[in-house]
Amino acid sequence: MAASGNLLTFVSADNVHIEVERDVAERSLLIKNMLEDLGEATEDIPIPNVNEPVLRKVIEWCRHHKNDPPASTEDEDSRRKTTDIDEWDQKFTQVDQEMLFEIILAANYLDIKGLLDVGCKTVANMIKGKSPEEIRKTFNIQNDFTPEEEDQIRRENEWAEDR
Amino acid sequence: MARDTAQTPTIPRLRLLQGAASYSSDFTAPSLSAPFKLDEGYSDETKSQPDKELLNPSPDDVMPLPDWVHTYGEAERAELAYNLLRTLRASTVASVVERLAPLLHMDPVLKLPPEITSEIFSYLDPQTLLTASLASRAWRSRIFDSRLWRDLYIGEGWRVDIDAVRTYEQEHSGLSSPQLRKSRLRYTDPDLGEPKQKKRVPPSWLDSRATGSLDNNEAVRGNGLQAAVEADTEGNHPMSDVSNDRGTLLSAGQQSPTSSTRRESQSGSGHSKSNMQPPSTTSRRPMSSLLIRMPNGAAKINWPHLYQQRRRLEDNWAKGRFTNFQLPHPCHMEEAHQECVYAIQFTGKWLVSGSRDKTVRVWDLDTKRLWHPPLQGHSKSVLCLQFDPRPSEDIIVSGSSDKNVIIWRFSTGEKLHEIAPAHDDSVLNLRFDERYIVTCSKDKLIKVWNRQQLSPADKDYPSVFQGSGVSYPSYIVDTSEIPSPILEAEIAKNHIRTLAPYSLLMILDGHTAAVNAIQLNEDEIVSASGDRLIKVWNLRNGSCRKTVIGHEKGIACVQFDSKRIISGSNDDTVRIFDHASGAEVACLHGHANLVRTVQAGFGDPPGAEETLRLEALAVDNDFRDAQRSGTNVDLGPSALRRAGYQQNTNGSRNPRDIKALGAKIPPGGGGSQWGRIVSGSYDETIIIWKKDNEGRWVVGQKLRQAEAAANASYSNLDAAAQNTIARSKAFAQQAQQIQAAAAAAQQGQTQGPAGHGQGQQQPLPPRWPTTNPNPTEQQQGGAWPQGPVNPSSLITNHHIQNPINAHQGANRPHPPIMNPVLAAAAATHHHHPRLNRMAAVPGQPPTSRIFKLQFDAQKIICASQDPRIVGWDFAADDEDLREACQFFTGL
Repeated sequence: MAASGNLLTFVSADNVHIEVERDVAERSLLIKNMLEDLGEATEDIPIPNVNEPVLRKVIEWCRHHKNDPPASTEDEDSRRKTTDIDEWDQKFTQVDQEMLFEIILAANYLDIKGLLDVGCKTVANMIKGKSPEEIRKTFNIQNDFTPEEEDQIRRENEWAEDR
Repeated sequence: MARDTAQTPTIPRLRLLQGAASYSSDFTAPSLSAPFKLDEGYSDETKSQPDKELLNPSPDDVMPLPDWVHTYGEAERAELAYNLLRTLRASTVASVVERLAPLLHMDPVLKLPPEITSEIFSYLDPQTLLTASLASRAWRSRIFDSRLWRDLYIGEGWRVDIDAVRTYEQEHSGLSSPQLRKSRLRYTDPDLGEPKQKKRVPPSWLDSRATGSLDNNEAVRGNGLQAAVEADTEGNHPMSDVSNDRGTLLSAGQQSPTSSTRRESQSGSGHSKSNMQPPSTTSRRPMSSLLIRMPNGAAKINWPHLYQQRRRLEDNWAKGRFTNFQLPHPCHMEEAHQECVYAIQFTGKWLVSGSRDKTVRVWDLDTKRLWHPPLQGHSKSVLCLQFDPRPSEDIIVSGSSDKNVIIWRFSTGEKLHEIAPAHDDSVLNLRFDERYIVTCSKDKLIKVWNRQQLSPADKDYPSVFQGSGVSYPSYIVDTSEIPSPILEAEIAKNHIRTLAPYSLLMILDGHTAAVNAIQLNEDEIVSASGDRLIKVWNLRNGSCRKTVIGHEKGIACVQFDSKRIISGSNDDTVRIFDHASGAEVACLHGHANLVRTVQAGFGDPPGAEETLRLEALAVDNDFRDAQRSGTNVDLGPSALRRAGYQQNTNGSRNPRDIKALGAKIPPGGGGSQWGRIVSGSYDETIIIWKKDNEGRWVVGQKLRQAEAAANASYSNLDAAAQNTIARSKAFAQQAQQIQAAAAAAQQGQTQGPAGHGQGQQQPLPPRWPTTNPNPTEQQQGGAWPQGPVNPSSLITNHHIQNPINAHQGANRPHPPIMNPVLAAAAATHHHHPRLNRMAAVPGQPPTSRIFKLQFDAQKIICASQDPRIVGWDFAADDEDLREACQFFTGL
């Protein structure tokens, strides 16, 4: 099942073969760099850390965003970060938490900055505006502070209250 | 998508979870089971399992599944489970669903590696992060990440003295290996000042991700983390073990040996980085909370702590919490200037001042004492100065109403050179850099001088501009007209003069009144004049690049950066102009008299240019939209005023308030929310301007020099009395003791404690002359005794608009031989320490007009009519703040 022309074949961790257009695949810097190093990809490309459902989601994102301008890597720290997410991406990230986190891990692994950003923003938005108890509920976190510790921390946090 | 369906109380839910998770490793995608921390024993086993695909440790309390189930695929197992559940009663199904519900919610801190959670947290503001840090110990530990808070700090637009941080870290690092120390010294700390590692995976396909994905600073945490990250890349259970590993790693890096409590070991998370940490881990810190101890003994600055302290400091500015101090120390009043102080500058522990008493004085801000004997050399008032204490520079340059400029050696006070005369009239301001000294004068001219020997072949040699507004001495050659071989030959033959240091290079002639202020930055000079204009000049050839119009009267002070020009004027306003277009973007009304001195810090975070440009564009577009939609908008206030609308020009972005289009910065000038402008005025106040929630400049604090002076002497007396005066004592008793202490110390102290001066009426110490012994001062003081600037230069019609007269409504004859400060002090100051609006009292001359101020992150210091130099310290006697302030620089 060797890839030919503009079609590549990914092999997921659970050994499923998925065909993907080269320009879509190259949203992943990891793949892009690899292809540049190898020249023509003649063999299947194993994606050992990503299983099929996650990989299909990742490819879906890459396909939708294949014409995006290349992410500039230098401006990230230089601007105030916004958690705005465009509409398509918002729909895209409406998945269960397991899927979301695995997409994030895959985006990190495959070096797809745009997708990683969308994933991280989505999680950030799940934290925003919530009380600690609501955050615990959202992420099934066990509270391992004693009430006294919690009180103490709350007091220590007072300095940051809005000016 | 986060469905909060888990409604059961914590403890029952956890018990349920334990069972459910055990099943889940078979029923659901394998990675589902791993993120949950069930109990310690179970999760430890999970971690060590290399084969995660069919992982099923089957604890005793879990029903084992028949082997054939494992042979089914995911879809088949799902179908099986569904059909199995359908055989159950609805209530049973409900309870199973309830048990399953928490599985849909999982902890990102356990599931995702630190570099990703740190990415997530980077989208959150400090308040949200602190709230989230209460979720669990693991969250708290992950959130108190030094890099995260460093980025937050920098993102606020706050500055930090990186060199001081590094030095401090090195001084406190107990590194055992000399190699480590060596490498720390040789290389810049990867923790700071370098772009964050963007590469999340190595470029090579086959490389292990472990090394490439680690941020540099995490490497110090030891090998364990690396192993953990490797594990996360190799298996399908990325983070099943990382959280635990990381916990132990962090504890290894902790300073506190007392941090092992039962809960601690259970959660496996470490935390004792700062005093924001839970009490169990902070009972005893062996070192300051400024530092985090790394496993290798290295000390790293604690950024969460620094962030917190900076925030508290900014709060003190906003709320007006400060202590006052004065130069000289109240116990050494004999070191004070004899008359009013026109110029100050401070850097680090040094402050240099210039006074009407003709001297320049160098002060140690730590001790508040005079460092050298006063530097004597000028024959009239010292009006302006600049100094650079670095050993490579080691100079003070001062300018005077004697028309001369003197260059002094800072470290010794020795006079190195005098440019006499530098101008035909008083030298009103001067600035220097490594290459040039630029001076400006009441003679309406700006002059540029070289500091180093300069040959026409040097790059700092001026180029000649063929146009009006600039002239050059005859010895300056136009190097562009001579081919370089010939030039070199001419220089070799000594036909072309090599310029000695302090030669005049060019004369900028464009203002039609005294040039009151100049600033110098790279290759640009910005000047402000009594002709109401600001001009921007090219330092290389002296050509005038642009003229900025806006003020309605003469301009007394100016400051600029690459984006804006800020000025203070006799029209009582502070204005902000777009440097690029010259458009006025804000006008701040708040003072009741001439604004003599101003400093601004906009707190631009990194990459601010783009933000500013976009904001400015949006404002322009809003204006055009408003125009199209027929709203009554117009550039400039006059048309609108006719329509009954008074423009708000303090930074409002309302289209009706816009004065000019095409600016590269938004109304108000942009910058961070912490931006600050401090202005000092002849109304005897200092205003700290801050931004309100809509980004408009408003008066944050109004400080009065007279109050500060009273407080400074009071608080210092308190210290001098060696705590014999307890703060809790009755007020009257306290005052008595202060007086006694003052008398005992023979201080010549002229002020009682704040608010307690009525009726104390102490005579002036005799060494403060009540008359000016130097009649030559009449020249200077005759027209405008309180200031060095001739009113005719600042104000076009001083008969009407002289601020003194305007203020007091009477054409008071000037007493040129009377020292206005001391006369005023004798007349009013000590009678009414609480009546601080001296100028508001008819018939009484002002006593504390502000001439010059400077602020940094921690303090404001000002020079005024008062011979004492006073300051406001916003660390306000807080130990933590004081300690942290050594790293803070301005906005």
